[in-house]
Amino acid sequence: MRAVYLDHNASTPVHPEAVAAMLPFFSERFGNASSVHGFGRAARDAIDTAREGIARFLGAGPDEIVFTSGGTESDNLALRGVAAARGGGHIVTSQIEHHAVLRTCQSLERGGFAVTYLPVDEHAMVDPEDVRRAIRDDTILVSIMHANSEVGTIEPIDAIGAIVRERGIPFHVDAVQTFGKIPIRLDAWGIDLLSFSSHKVYGPKGVAGLYIRKGTKMVATQHGGEHERRRRAGTENVPGIVGFGKAVECRSREMTAEALRLAELRDRLTGGTGARVADVRVNGHPTHRLPGTASLCFRQVESESIVLGLDLKGVGVSAGSACTSGNVEPSYVIVAMGVPLPWAMGAVRCSLGRGTTADDIDYVLGVLPPLVEKLRALSPVGAV
Amino acid sequence: MYYSRTLIEHFRNPRNAGMMRSPDATGQAEDGTCGDLARFFLRVEAGRAVDVRFQTYGCGPTIAAASAGSELAMGRPVSELLQISRDDVEVAIDGLPDERKHAADVVAEAIRSAARDYVRRHV
Repeated sequence: MRAVYLDHNASTPVHPEAVAAMLPFFSERFGNASSVHGFGRAARDAIDTAREGIARFLGAGPDEIVFTSGGTESDNLALRGVAAARGGGHIVTSQIEHHAVLRTCQSLERGGFAVTYLPVDEHAMVDPEDVRRAIRDDTILVSIMHANSEVGTIEPIDAIGAIVRERGIPFHVDAVQTFGKIPIRLDAWGIDLLSFSSHKVYGPKGVAGLYIRKGTKMVATQHGGEHERRRRAGTENVPGIVGFGKAVECRSREMTAEALRLAELRDRLTGGTGARVADVRVNGHPTHRLPGTASLCFRQVESESIVLGLDLKGVGVSAGSACTSGNVEPSYVIVAMGVPLPWAMGAVRCSLGRGTTADDIDYVLGVLPPLVEKLRALSPVGAV
Repeated sequence: MYYSRTLIEHFRNPRNAGMMRSPDATGQAEDGTCGDLARFFLRVEAGRAVDVRFQTYGCGPTIAAASAGSELAMGRPVSELLQISRDDVEVAIDGLPDERKHAADVVAEAIRSAARDYVRRHV
């Protein structure tokens, strides 16, 4: 049996260079970055170095980067920070955002804000004209994800950003699944706020970032010390930030070639599955899709049984997104795409990463078809 | 989410899976929320289920529960199958996480449904 991890959209192993960079900050260089003594200054310098590197990677100024504890916190800070600064109004988002955005929007609705949740097409693509039509005189924020974590569809952020910019409204992009994987153009796309995460790009968990364009009106949602220029109080996770910075430095070297390599492996997996298994469909846009994400629907086979069966063969995949994997309902993203229920219940996501090899893909192609065949043979429902 | 070794073994190697030719009884149950479904077939002699087969669509625990349920039902009087409970099925696979309790419900009801079908046809 072979151990094959195909759940990189859930999390990634920390890059060895990032691990090495972090280690001194657990023992010798453990100071609080807010302390005035040398121990603190060493930590402060390390944070500044990481911040500068990440800012450079994004094409931002260092003081436009705020470190948080995770992508969820970054999304919350973006939405709540802008909402609190305005006190009321209307927000435009999509039906397929991560729960960190959707549930924050629902919470803001309970607090008196109005929210429009835009539909998507059969490829999970948001129509920029829907954004244009949804914007009202009282719209205070538009929040659209750069790419969907479940099916990998890359949204037309450039076109949406142009529309939002015309109206002078802040534009938040949840780039947790794209940062470090595909290019992001903050200025060209009119992005004012951008959420991004460490553990999706071979950095440690527990640290992420929010890009806040200078001049964007928002208020802090977590109060205490004066950290992060009073935008996010709390003692900084120095080892995490150092690891994040190093992971981003590695990404800047590896990203482009990696994207090409993963796209080939992804297509090998989806093409190979289609050739070996009947009644399977690939979800997401055919061309505008994350290079490492392969979402498949198997008709009349329940996704959790596929996930469990593959797990017993050493293969780690996800039924829907990791955040919703304890739930037996079909993925809300797949449902929003209009996928019929007999297919939607059989949705499985494979997300490849820097450690994935062609041999891994071929192994999966060897174990997946007989598993699906076995599960279909057990079933009384709609035999293929 | 924790799955017992017994559950994993039943999922990996389901017992008594498949259709039955000319069963003496058939029963089925479905979970309205997730769509998991189990169908049971009985061969009955002298009031006992001498052969039990199942088909199932659903999550891993439902498949495992159906397999364990078929072993539970095998050899039992139909009168007992009318009373099989979700707890009986859950014990047979050494427990289920809260999020997967529906598996035991579906399988227990499918077995009871098969038993009721036998009674309806033969009593």
